Amino acid sequence: MSTRRIALLVFTAIVLVLPAVLSAYGLTLMNFIGLAAIVVVGLVLLTGIGGLTSFGQASFVGVGAYTTAWLTTAAGLSPVLALPVALFAGAFFALVIGAVTLRLSGHYLPLSTIAWSLSLYFLVGNVAALGGHDGIPAVPPISLFGWEPSGPAYTWLIVAAVALSLLTVANVLASRDGRAVRCLRGRRVMLEAFGVDTARLRLVIFVHAAVLAALTGWLYAHLIQFVNATPFGLNASIEYLFMTVIGGSAHLFGAVIGAGLMTLLRDGLQRLAPELVGSGGATEIVMLGLVMVVLLQTAPRGVMPWLLRLLPPRGRPWMDLDRARAIAPFSSRPKPERGTELLTVAGVTKRFGGLIAVNDVSFDLKAGEILGLIGPNGAGKSTLFNLLTGISPATAGTISFAGERIERMASRKIARLGVARSFQHVLLRSDMSALENVAVGAHLRSTRGYLSALLRLDRREEERLLAEAMRQLDRVGLAHLAHEPAGSLALGQQRILEIARALAADPALLLLDEPAAGLRYREKQELAALLSKLGEEGVAVLVVEHDMNFVMNLVDRLVVISFGQKISEGAPTHVQNDVAVQEAYLGVAA
Amino acid sequence: MSYLIGALLAQDGLTNGAIYALIALALVMVFSVTRIIFIPQGEIVTYSSLSLASLQQGTAPGSIWLIVALGLLAAGLEGFGYLRGDRSTSRLRAMAAYGLVPLAVAALTFATAGAGFGFLWNIVLVLLIVVPMGPLIYRVAFRPLGDATVLHSLIVAMAVHFVLLGCGLLAFGPEGVRTPPLIAGRFPVFGVPVSAQAMVVVAVAIVAIIAMALYFGRTLSGKALRATAFNRVGARLVGIRTEQAARLVFLLAGFAGALCGILVAPITTVYYDTGFLIGLKGFIAAIFAGLASYPLAALGAVLLGLFESYSSFFASLYKDAIVFALIIPILLWRSLRSTHVEEDEE
Amino acid sequence: MRTFALATLAAGLLASTAANAEIKIGAILSLTGPAASLGIPEKQTIDVLPREIDGEPVSYTIVDDASDPSAAVRAAAKLIEENKVDVVLGPSVTPTSLAILEAMAKGETVFISAAGSAVIASPVEGPKKWAFKLAPQESSMAHYVYGSMQKAGDETVGFIGFNDAFGDSFIGAFKKEAEKRGIEVVSDERFSPRDASVTAQALSTLSANPDAVIIGASGTPGVAPILELRNLGYEGDIYINQGMANPDVLRVGGDAMNGVMLAVSPVLVAEQLPEENPVKPEALKYIAAYEGKYGEGTRNLFGATIWDGFKLVAAAAAEAKQEAEPGTPEFRQALRAALESQKELVGAQGVFNMSPTDHNGTDLRAESLVRIEDGKWVYVPLE
Repeated sequence: MSTRRIALLVFTAIVLVLPAVLSAYGLTLMNFIGLAAIVVVGLVLLTGIGGLTSFGQASFVGVGAYTTAWLTTAAGLSPVLALPVALFAGAFFALVIGAVTLRLSGHYLPLSTIAWSLSLYFLVGNVAALGGHDGIPAVPPISLFGWEPSGPAYTWLIVAAVALSLLTVANVLASRDGRAVRCLRGRRVMLEAFGVDTARLRLVIFVHAAVLAALTGWLYAHLIQFVNATPFGLNASIEYLFMTVIGGSAHLFGAVIGAGLMTLLRDGLQRLAPELVGSGGATEIVMLGLVMVVLLQTAPRGVMPWLLRLLPPRGRPWMDLDRARAIAPFSSRPKPERGTELLTVAGVTKRFGGLIAVNDVSFDLKAGEILGLIGPNGAGKSTLFNLLTGISPATAGTISFAGERIERMASRKIARLGVARSFQHVLLRSDMSALENVAVGAHLRSTRGYLSALLRLDRREEERLLAEAMRQLDRVGLAHLAHEPAGSLALGQQRILEIARALAADPALLLLDEPAAGLRYREKQELAALLSKLGEEGVAVLVVEHDMNFVMNLVDRLVVISFGQKISEGAPTHVQNDVAVQEAYLGVAA
Repeated sequence: MSYLIGALLAQDGLTNGAIYALIALALVMVFSVTRIIFIPQGEIVTYSSLSLASLQQGTAPGSIWLIVALGLLAAGLEGFGYLRGDRSTSRLRAMAAYGLVPLAVAALTFATAGAGFGFLWNIVLVLLIVVPMGPLIYRVAFRPLGDATVLHSLIVAMAVHFVLLGCGLLAFGPEGVRTPPLIAGRFPVFGVPVSAQAMVVVAVAIVAIIAMALYFGRTLSGKALRATAFNRVGARLVGIRTEQAARLVFLLAGFAGALCGILVAPITTVYYDTGFLIGLKGFIAAIFAGLASYPLAALGAVLLGLFESYSSFFASLYKDAIVFALIIPILLWRSLRSTHVEEDEE
Repeated sequence: MRTFALATLAAGLLASTAANAEIKIGAILSLTGPAASLGIPEKQTIDVLPREIDGEPVSYTIVDDASDPSAAVRAAAKLIEENKVDVVLGPSVTPTSLAILEAMAKGETVFISAAGSAVIASPVEGPKKWAFKLAPQESSMAHYVYGSMQKAGDETVGFIGFNDAFGDSFIGAFKKEAEKRGIEVVSDERFSPRDASVTAQALSTLSANPDAVIIGASGTPGVAPILELRNLGYEGDIYINQGMANPDVLRVGGDAMNGVMLAVSPVLVAEQLPEENPVKPEALKYIAAYEGKYGEGTRNLFGATIWDGFKLVAAAAAEAKQEAEPGTPEFRQALRAALESQKELVGAQGVFNMSPTDHNGTDLRAESLVRIEDGKWVYVPLE
């Protein structure tokens, strides 16, 4: 058994025994720690990992609390029956709010969460059915077939809820959607290029976090047996966010640590502050703020990384080559006959304001063919690449791929048609293993959704995904580095990893943006061999490359562009002798 | 609703809008240059009002202790940096400035607070006390973060907000203040009595906005700041010191906050925690402008002020819910305008 | 860090101190947050309370709830379980008072709320058996305000009040009384304590043109609508309330407050009360204690409520300790019973007659009519 596992078991044991020995005040503290931890688990998923900052989590707690309070008082429903409704209400609110605000980028989102949560807060005090500003008193306790959990039993219930929330998020993170979630921060363009609907994914984790918050609301309402708007205001949301950051926003377990530290810190300050400076809550707020500022300045990643250093590193999702070979692969896409027309670019133009980056370029690409796209710096190669992969729409002209018009199609839809690419500036997630990074490429090969991951029904598919990733790593010769963090690989290896990821998508068309840059001679030879073999298998390959030697020996045909215009096209020997190309490269005046 | 009532409501909305505009401008400016969402801007406003009220009563405001403490902390940080190896004279100069300026301001305030030099002198004192808070807060709380993410510095900003809120309560107590108007009286404009104070507020806000537009559009240091806003790395490469830019921008934010506090104190009762809500409304205006455009931020602020005023008249019970819900259509409009996946920072 | 956390848990939470004979009084007050202006004078009052009851030493433990109900619940658990208090003074406001009902009843400990709303301690059943609320009933205030209005011939009334629990409760009660007395309510406007402007609400009230306006706000925020009304040329009567009876209101309001009236606990104008007023001696005693420490004119009604809470506790504890030792559940039971049986107990704010069905116990003697004249509170006999 690993040290990590032992540490976790010891921690679990302590948490389970504590309620039995704690004083009632200790239980109250533990209850509040647990209630907060559930919300913070959601925030770790949403903010720490998904990169979406929410200052509105307390409102979802409020939605859960008010729903159950109203149902169990005014409507006389049993608290147990009210639970699913409360969770659904949280999800519903998150869906509506998320649909409006989640499309916003970075900093708008946190600011918008401040605003809408305040609006809800002010609204609820004026709804007479919800008790107005006085709130809803006399909420009944939870009762299960006559048994009413109270004292330590309620604490155990909360502990179970915390464990359950941790489990749901941990399950998701270990799935295909989870890998995508981990790439949401700063890698959305890459995700879209591999067919991930990032907008939907953001919405889904937003809803997940909201449901967890609503669960806290339900537990809270039946614990306190009184609900009013104050505990669901902005300050509470801010406190949840503080907890997330204190614990270590990128670590799931940090949620528990953060919630615990913050609650105990508050409690400790309440005891200390009056003795330090006269009395009064002001000192407490000041000290809390100061502790936060100092903590963020000295340990910006929270206390969790610091704790983890005491433990050996975590086992990443495991897969070895022998095992991978034994697992049945996904059925691969039927490849078109070699030589059939696959990609047709006709008169494509891209304008940025007055600047014409790509001007009336046409060419085509057949299945099994390797085409090189070359041109001097600033010729428009990257822009053209972006047009082909749907990162930006074409201003004019048409691009067809396998009979579909794609010049204005979204990136992730193009990916579905069988187009995969690598990026000039490698877009890997450096803290994920090489294997996991490649598995992101295979995203579309499986169709298992978020819910089945959450319930852990996706294990067999997940194993097939990892096996596929392992086989592609083997194909590019990086199998021995499968479990290393991608960030620890040499730059050349990272480029190869990008290609492995593209291959994992089982593409009919492979677009490579400067794959040979930074590679050593032998690596280049191996890459060339791999690409030739792909061509033989019927995959069409488009390579943008600066390394002339590499390109000339590899490609079947070349397209040369300069100042956004195609100036030459043909076999490598033909292009080499083309006067226009020489002028473009050597700058000889025409 | 009669013409008179409509016009009075408009006047009320415009006055508040002008105040929100000043805050929104400061927020946009700080954000665009430093990527810091400066939540404590609201506290700077309250500190200014409350300090002015203290001075009006002839006592030295408690905020002095705060700037002295901040100054000593900042000086300590510089001294620490010097000892740690960066033995540049600029360090020492900064240390002296951070340490001595607040002490000098404090001495001046204590010497003249009870002397009754009049309202104008009190305003000068308030500016001297409150404006340095901007750069001091930056030096103590944000500078040590280095190139932090927006989220990271946003949370620090929240924590600073709490510290300042608590200090405000300690320094000024829980009760509110109101100062006499800068200019008393009302003048009829198109048959509507317009209060002189409202005119002063709007006029000062307009002057400040124009001054800012001129500064950023015409002067070299303003252009340098704008360059920093567009491209921080690039600005550094061409020799614009981003740290200096940040300090300047926080100084301007401190000034905008102080001005706001002086303007707002006669027209509303200011409490130690008033700033946060006013600041939030400034934010909504800033979001309206995408945290980028100054004229749009000003426009958003005025619209918000008018909206608030009219909704208070017709449905005062739901006013706050309405005003804060206003953000949702604005965001919807913003999000519909951007259709492509935008890369967030990592 | 984890060892630290566990150590705190172990040391702080497992500890259970043995009961001793001293009487332990806990207090849950809003020292920060929106209700800080209530909580702070309440705390200052506790600082001048006697340190012994009937020869027994008294200890005080004050916990801040930051005006937040969840924090109040935590504070209640802490006071009951950890500090083993015999009785709790506070909380300061209605939401926090309602929030701790269950916890206090479970811990079988009485609390004496300083908040205003009647729902805290009525009807006396279930957990509310452990709740007492001393602020005068809103109907008594209405008696004086409407009495004064009718004397002046006013027939219509408009309200401007807080958009919160206080405003709802106050205006709701006053509306009910208005109906009984045949006074017509023509407008009801709300604002938030931290609003930058209440011009719109004042305009809205003005366009309904009531004979009198009643302000349902507490503290200095209540001044803003008065200033606006006067600025806009409103000439009718303006009534404020108990919650605004503090010197800061006069300071912030200045000249605009001239002529404004209110129904308020007699402690505010104790010196001016006629000698036969039963409350006068105790009110003067509170003022001597409080203003003796914090300066002239600092007297505060919220503080006076806490003072009266202590008076009741002292009287009841003297009886209860005959039956059981302080620090025991029996003592707390006896204390509750003794509190319920207090008759004609004179406090600084009124005369209390408690019963098993009335945990407020005040009557018309808990109020008096006051007018503001040149920055002074002036007692006005209603008859």
